[in-house]
Amino acid sequence: MAEVHVIGQLVGASEFPSHSLFCKWGLHAGGAWKLIAGVKEGQTHVDNPENEQAAYWSHPIDVHYATKGLQGWPRLHLQVWYQDIHGRNELYGYGFVHVPSSPGCHTIECVTWKPNGTFQEELMQYFVGGCPQLKNPDLVYAGADRYKLHTTAMGKVQIRLNVILRNFDKYGVEC
Amino acid sequence: MAGINPNPTVFLLMANGQIESAVFPDFDELYCKFSFVHGQDWVVTSGLEEGISQITRRSRDERQLFVWNFPLDITYKSTNPYGWPQLVVSCYGPDVFGRDIVRGYGAIHIPMTPGKHKVKVPMFVPVSSSKLQQITSWLLGRRPEFVDPKVVAQGEGRDVTRVRSQGYAMVSFNIVTRDLKKLGYDLSPSDVTSIPLSSTVIS
Repeated sequence: MAEVHVIGQLVGASEFPSHSLFCKWGLHAGGAWKLIAGVKEGQTHVDNPENEQAAYWSHPIDVHYATKGLQGWPRLHLQVWYQDIHGRNELYGYGFVHVPSSPGCHTIECVTWKPNGTFQEELMQYFVGGCPQLKNPDLVYAGADRYKLHTTAMGKVQIRLNVILRNFDKYGVEC
Repeated sequence: MAGINPNPTVFLLMANGQIESAVFPDFDELYCKFSFVHGQDWVVTSGLEEGISQITRRSRDERQLFVWNFPLDITYKSTNPYGWPQLVVSCYGPDVFGRDIVRGYGAIHIPMTPGKHKVKVPMFVPVSSSKLQQITSWLLGRRPEFVDPKVVAQGEGRDVTRVRSQGYAMVSFNIVTRDLKKLGYDLSPSDVTSIPLSSTVIS
């Protein structure tokens, strides 16, 4: 069986309206993929940065997959949340990125988006905070029903991932 | 170095380098401690796993730099890339009353591809949950710190912590690996184009 190691960090985030942020992340892979070691989801700490331009998490990701097929290559999906000084959490964005398919060290910038609400909801959001959330979070990494959504762009998440492949050349796979 | 082994069971990772410098705009004097954290399949064969640097003062020029030039040298052997070692750096310095408090923790994986690497490690410090605690900790000099600095190298249990990131450290590495290719691991794209001459039958 071919094996894939994904070892790296969620470095941080930038270009959001404010940077007291944390991130819930998860890895999703197809049916042919089996997780041998490592945790495939987690939540970072909350960073309230001195430098207001970027939040830093340095959250380690270390997973070991074994696979029998190329379909369902793992995807990293993220939810970026904002925590204000009173401790309330507000969703700031969803994003996903495929784990790179070539071995080596990759620096990835994952773009994020936030769902829009109706005019009344946006008005309420302006005063009270909060944000519409997806009922089904799978929509972040699946494209099937996206055409019904209205969204707005939010900031970027910096991710550094190292990919180590094993036995792919024995199966004749070129990457 | 041992002779050529046609059927290796372990691979070696040799990492040397230095904790070069740090940038912390708000502080005057700092020293740093480092330690290496690794998974269960990894064993240190030589080198120091922990150390403490000298105390350095911020430069008075426009760079505002703390320079340690602190050597790192470690060699690992392992059977599995899971649990790849990480360098955990923690910086400490005196506060206004002269007591030693923590100024930042940071963690970075040792780079995986052979060669020379220079990495920037962002540093963050845990914060108290309430304003009153922040005032009393400033007065008494007992700032929040992690019981074990190695917790910044793992992901579990951190979702309830709040931190403040302030500053970063620059670390440079030279990496050499041995027998990773022989064990079948590909770490850079050019490795995956070779089809071995003895085509093994795959089940």
